[in-house]
Amino acid sequence: MKKTVRKIFFLWEYEKEEAWINEMALAGWMLTQTGFRKYVFETGTPGEYTYRLELLEKDPHSPESKSYLDFLQETGIEVVGECINWIYLRCKTEECKFDQGKRPLYELTHLLKIQDFFNKLKHIFVVVIALCLVAIFSLEHADPIPVVDFFKGFCVGVSFGASVLILLAAPCFSRMNRKVKAAIRELYTCE
Amino acid sequence: MNPNENIVLTEAVFYTLLALHTPLHGYGIMQETKSMTGGRLVLSAGTLYGAISSMLDKGWIKALPGEEDSRRKEYVITDTGKQVARAELNRLHELVANGEKIINKTDIL
Repeated sequence: MKKTVRKIFFLWEYEKEEAWINEMALAGWMLTQTGFRKYVFETGTPGEYTYRLELLEKDPHSPESKSYLDFLQETGIEVVGECINWIYLRCKTEECKFDQGKRPLYELTHLLKIQDFFNKLKHIFVVVIALCLVAIFSLEHADPIPVVDFFKGFCVGVSFGASVLILLAAPCFSRMNRKVKAAIRELYTCE
Repeated sequence: MNPNENIVLTEAVFYTLLALHTPLHGYGIMQETKSMTGGRLVLSAGTLYGAISSMLDKGWIKALPGEEDSRRKEYVITDTGKQVARAELNRLHELVANGEKIINKTDIL
């Protein structure tokens, strides 16, 4: 039997997503296919497979990633789906070769990539806000023709929206930074 | 390799170097490591892949020429790799000697 579930996980919620997929597997639903916000499950023996999400450095079809995926396959790991550079892996639970328990270095690379992405995004937002503010101030004494008014309104809207987004994202940022720091600390004591 | 260089190997790297004293493919390295450690150390595919790639770069191990279409590549330790493993063994000896000197002494007291 097959069923398709639509669910959204954010980029940094890979642990939650992985845990959910593994819970489904324990309940007898094996993930066999993925798509954008889409998960296809098939019935199987509960707990038969263990699932794992990994972020590849390069896109899954690049030669570097191909050689890694071939290596995984050789050790009994299947790729069930991909989403941009994320891959969904599974292996038979009893012979699973995924990192278990602590995985600081692995986690850290994940987190650093996400952190890097969000920092870039934040920089883009800041630049956009700055450009909008410059536009608003330089147009302050411009003739009040509709085009100018519209453009000013647009800039106000964009800079306001971008500021709100940055503020809303702030707690996520600090949570992520704490996570990265904890992972780095872990690195010093564990292999 | 400069013998004065203080390289500390990870368990995964050290055991891979040990296992590759005979040519093995990836899965073989995992099984060999597991059996050497009595099941204590189970290398994950990701860890092993990272270890193999970095050791190939450093020239500690090399891939054996196999059939072109074969995905199962076999690897073997190089002379440099043997030197590195030897240096690590010496470091571990020192670790054990100092550990016994201090920990065992305090245990007796």
